[in-house]
Amino acid sequence: MWGFPEPIQHLVEQFMKLPGIGPKTATRLAFCVLDMSAEDVHEFAVALEDVKRKLTECAICCNITEDSPCSICRDPSRDNHVLCVVQDAKDVAAMEKTHEFHGRYHVLHGAISPLEGIGPNDIRMKELVQRIGTSDIREVIVATNPNVEGEATAMYIARLLKPFSVMVTRIAHGLPVGGDLEYADEVTLAKALEGRRQI
Amino acid sequence: MTLTNYRNYETLHIAFSPSVNVFVGENAQGKTNALEAIYFLAMGKSHRTHRDADCIRWNCSDAQIQSEVFVHGKVRRLQIDFHQGAKRASVNGVNQAKMTDFVGQFQVVLFAPEDLQLVKGGPQGRRRFIDMELGQTYPKYLYHLSQYQRALQQRNSLLKNMLPNASALLDVLDAQLVEHGSEVLLRRLRFLDRMKQLAADIYTSISDGREELALDYACSVAPMTDSEPPDKSRIQSLFSAALERRRSADMQAGHTTVGPHRDDLLFTLNGQPVQSFASQGQQRTIALSLRLAEIDLIQQEVGEYPVLLLDDVLSELDDIRQRNLVFNMSQKVQTIVTTTSLFQLRDKLQADVRLFQVRSGIIQNEG
Repeated sequence: MWGFPEPIQHLVEQFMKLPGIGPKTATRLAFCVLDMSAEDVHEFAVALEDVKRKLTECAICCNITEDSPCSICRDPSRDNHVLCVVQDAKDVAAMEKTHEFHGRYHVLHGAISPLEGIGPNDIRMKELVQRIGTSDIREVIVATNPNVEGEATAMYIARLLKPFSVMVTRIAHGLPVGGDLEYADEVTLAKALEGRRQI
Repeated sequence: MTLTNYRNYETLHIAFSPSVNVFVGENAQGKTNALEAIYFLAMGKSHRTHRDADCIRWNCSDAQIQSEVFVHGKVRRLQIDFHQGAKRASVNGVNQAKMTDFVGQFQVVLFAPEDLQLVKGGPQGRRRFIDMELGQTYPKYLYHLSQYQRALQQRNSLLKNMLPNASALLDVLDAQLVEHGSEVLLRRLRFLDRMKQLAADIYTSISDGREELALDYACSVAPMTDSEPPDKSRIQSLFSAALERRRSADMQAGHTTVGPHRDDLLFTLNGQPVQSFASQGQQRTIALSLRLAEIDLIQQEVGEYPVLLLDDVLSELDDIRQRNLVFNMSQKVQTIVTTTSLFQLRDKLQADVRLFQVRSGIIQNEG
């Protein structure tokens, strides 16, 4: 059976390691690379390598960073008493966009999920406990995702931090801002009803 | 109702009696197809196939179901068009952008031969019956059910492959199972409470009072007695205690042995368990009683009786049961029955029962 030359085949296989990329798209991408100028390809390859070579995990918050400690951990204007725990580096970016949170972060790099073989030791849980024990944090806001795995992780953190004198809080479920009530799905609406407050 | 190129019907006009309608015909003449069209108008889909194209007459590209229904004393014109692989629905001539907006213009309850599995089959089918009923009325029930199932998968996977700190992790997963599982249990118990008496009364009237049906929720968490009404905090503490008690056994088994996913519905006739003692006809009467109880539940919920579709159920019932069933229904519910023969019914039919002969895609009113 006829196949593409080995270098193309090899590149196709590499692209297929990426999420959401099947054989068709991978082949298209590989031929696109073939059409690129040598400089562009070089730049592409360097960028790929740099992601691994230049980035490390921050020694304090475990976020990905070029220099450890990261810029947020070094920022003296931030509140040392409040810590926001998130699953992912992307969640830090999301929280930062709000411009409303001025505390510190802790990035877990995942959520507890026995189905995928991920236990507490496979995410940055130990680092979190160590950090609570050695710093002046008074409130831990758990901002993991509102699904079964995220909730399990949140509950696990709450149990783990019981011996320390910190308040552990969970972000609220509710309606999206600026939306119409009628478009909200029934479960979100029911959750929002549960978490209502006096005005 | 008017069908155009639907299944084996080229064109069909049919005017139903508000009471009992009987479709009589040999096998493969189109009795169930006509029932299916009514089901389609109410639910927006067929009960037999996922492929809408199957409903279009052979060698035709389009099909149509049209009907007028009386809901809360008003006429609604419902129409579904099958055209080029898509279906479009309209109410009183107004196109419905989403099928979900169309579904539920009127209610139907269908009893098909497969429903016998509710009694004969495994507990899974009975749990699904309850879950479907509750899911239709309470969207939050489906949320809790799916969260429960996800947490259950996580727990079972942990029991199979113990990770470090497993016991602390099990505590957390148990808490999740209790949170969502208790909601599931509570709703199921309340549902059963309402269902129980309705189904028993219906069974008694169909069987002429010769037998007594009892319905019980077999709860793996703890036996639920009638004396105490289901209460959330009590269920939560019972469930959490049961999980704790069973933990070492669960660890050995490698899966969770207690919870709503292990529960069942138990039927007894005159105190005898049905699965091993009841006859085919008795079992069918029980399945029928469940569906008929559903009718009353819908009536309580919506304020109007649904249309009852009975597909080929008479054949396994004795004369008395047939007569009682048809008589019972003609009292309150618009019913459409299919059957291959009239058995002994013919002489006992009331005046308001309308009889239709179905012969290869043609339906004739026999009065």
